[in-house]
Amino acid sequence: MSTFGAPLIEVEGLTKRFPVSTGVFSRRAGEVHAVEDVTLSVRRGETLGIVGESGCGKSTTARLMLKLIEPTAGTIRFDGRDITNLSARQMRPVRREMQMVFQDPYSSLNPRQTVGQIIGQPFSIHKTEGDAKKLVRELMDRCGMNPEHYNRYPHEFSGGQRQRIGVARALALRPKLIICDEPVSALDVSIQAQILNLLESLQSEFDLTYVFISHDLSVIRQISDRIAVMYLGRVVELTDSESLYETPRHPYTASLLSAVPRTSVGRRARIVLSGDVPSPVSPPSGCAFHPRCPKARLLTNGQGVPDDCRDDLPRLEAGTGHEVACWHPLASADELRPVAKA
Amino acid sequence: MSGDLLLDVRDLTVQFPTQDGIVNAVSGLSFTLRRGETLGIVGESGSGKSVTNLAILGLLNSKHSQVGGEILLHGRDLLKASQSELRDVRGKDVAMIFQDPFACLHPMYRVGSQIAEAVRAHLDVSKSVAFERAVEVLDAVGIPNARARAKDYPHQFSGGMRQRAMIAMALVHNPSVLIADEPTTALDVTVQAQILDLIDKVKRDFDIGVILVTHDLGVVAETAQTVMVMYAGRAVEHGPAREVFDSPQHPYTWGLLESMPSVESKVAHLHAIEGSPPSVIHLPTGCAFHPRCPHRFDRCMTARPPLEQMEGGHADACHLDTDAKRRLWAERQRIRLGVGA
Repeated sequence: MSTFGAPLIEVEGLTKRFPVSTGVFSRRAGEVHAVEDVTLSVRRGETLGIVGESGCGKSTTARLMLKLIEPTAGTIRFDGRDITNLSARQMRPVRREMQMVFQDPYSSLNPRQTVGQIIGQPFSIHKTEGDAKKLVRELMDRCGMNPEHYNRYPHEFSGGQRQRIGVARALALRPKLIICDEPVSALDVSIQAQILNLLESLQSEFDLTYVFISHDLSVIRQISDRIAVMYLGRVVELTDSESLYETPRHPYTASLLSAVPRTSVGRRARIVLSGDVPSPVSPPSGCAFHPRCPKARLLTNGQGVPDDCRDDLPRLEAGTGHEVACWHPLASADELRPVAKA
Repeated sequence: MSGDLLLDVRDLTVQFPTQDGIVNAVSGLSFTLRRGETLGIVGESGSGKSVTNLAILGLLNSKHSQVGGEILLHGRDLLKASQSELRDVRGKDVAMIFQDPFACLHPMYRVGSQIAEAVRAHLDVSKSVAFERAVEVLDAVGIPNARARAKDYPHQFSGGMRQRAMIAMALVHNPSVLIADEPTTALDVTVQAQILDLIDKVKRDFDIGVILVTHDLGVVAETAQTVMVMYAGRAVEHGPAREVFDSPQHPYTWGLLESMPSVESKVAHLHAIEGSPPSVIHLPTGCAFHPRCPHRFDRCMTARPPLEQMEGGHADACHLDTDAKRRLWAERQRIRLGVGA
């Protein structure tokens, strides 16, 4: 893992809470704990995958990293510089270095602009030198589109082609960091593979660093070097891709992995989590996963949960290479076998 | 499959005339569904999987579509049935659950009363009797404290619970066929596992046949007994699920399987099927898949391969002979796994 360079983006203690108001007078009724105390660093040339279920805070984390929304607490360092308190004007030159690819290629492209205008817009916004039209054509070609289609509109393209437009636009200013928020979730499998391959080849060619957000564990495995698993606003496990899939240590990660349907031979035992993700307005005490945790239940033979899980918040132990926020991490995935269902 | 025959679709063809030409949504599709069977229909967007289901339910507007062939439900042809006869079938003998449980429940009515309304659509019973039935089915699909939750509004339900409520609504009249169109696509993976388990349980408890439409091959592999792979409105491969996943025969099926990333391993280079699905107005000549197929030869461009039965009920529509297919698939797997030739 030492093949990657110095950290490009580092966030520390990142927290975002959204106020919830109710009633006619918009009385403040509480807060959504969207992201809680997230500390991550992404090294140059690396792909960090962030995976989790809806509402776990993965997209909010991405938006915080780009300073599209202001954090409630915590710091963001980009390329060695603290950008947490920069003003919008001060952010401008930094923005060239960080771009985003969105999930929905239908709503993230302006239907009234031609492909050429969409991909060329970053050049005009940042008033760059050079022949923008030529650059746009080169970008289109590099991203697998026909440069002849310069004057077409987004509706004339299929979902996969539109996502290529989104990638080309993100690439226009040669950024250092691209945050991909579920870039292939809306695409058919055969097209999804094309886009993943495109992102991978662009990464080595342009020396890009990716933060790749997805709910799809197989996509995350394919593209990521390191992976952060999030649950209810917190990172619960952080390690390299191989260790996460081979020896998941957080019971949540293990349950997630076992829930993914597979095409391989034979039926296997599945850990089916009961219930839904709790509300982020009033997250459970202690470990947020304890009400659904299969390991906690095993430890007490189904009689409630251990006291530490219920009362104390487990934190990632930094610097161990395989960080897990759990009081009773799994030694092996087989540990949960007794609670798995055939 | 030994259960009695519920549904027998023969040579189904659906066309939509448009200003730009005729859309061939489904062409010459035949399949059967038996009691206790889950048939998985897989294919990408535009392959005709959803239109097939709309045809079975008689939901295609006859003004805008031309439907040919036969759809035999318990031996009776639904395509010859009148609107009122169809209304008697829909929601009663054939029930459907949709992809988006958020869009399928009315936000201003209580969940229980919406299900009760479905009861009263086919049965002349009082509201209170219908409500009792709603509570009963909500309980059957694993909604805890069903009587109290029946009085909740949809926004008080989570995504997984809404999908459970939709399944409950589909079950009120003890249907014999349940059509599930991408039932778990909008759900998280842990909730997806719960819903797939539930559909399987419902199939056994109510002794029904299930048609599961999805783009996720993993979902099909884990829940279906029979698989039909569709491409550009036709079945290109059809057979017992284990057979199809263990020894896939059609290059399109190979492409689909290879383009799926896996949670079990990272592959050196993800294989992607080149190009994109064809326009269903201007279908390619011969085999519709030939422009994207790496193994095409002259005949593929001129003659359309028929869906040919092999032993074990496994069928595929490809001009390659069995030996060539075995060799090519073995080779492609070697390349995928990065094993030296």
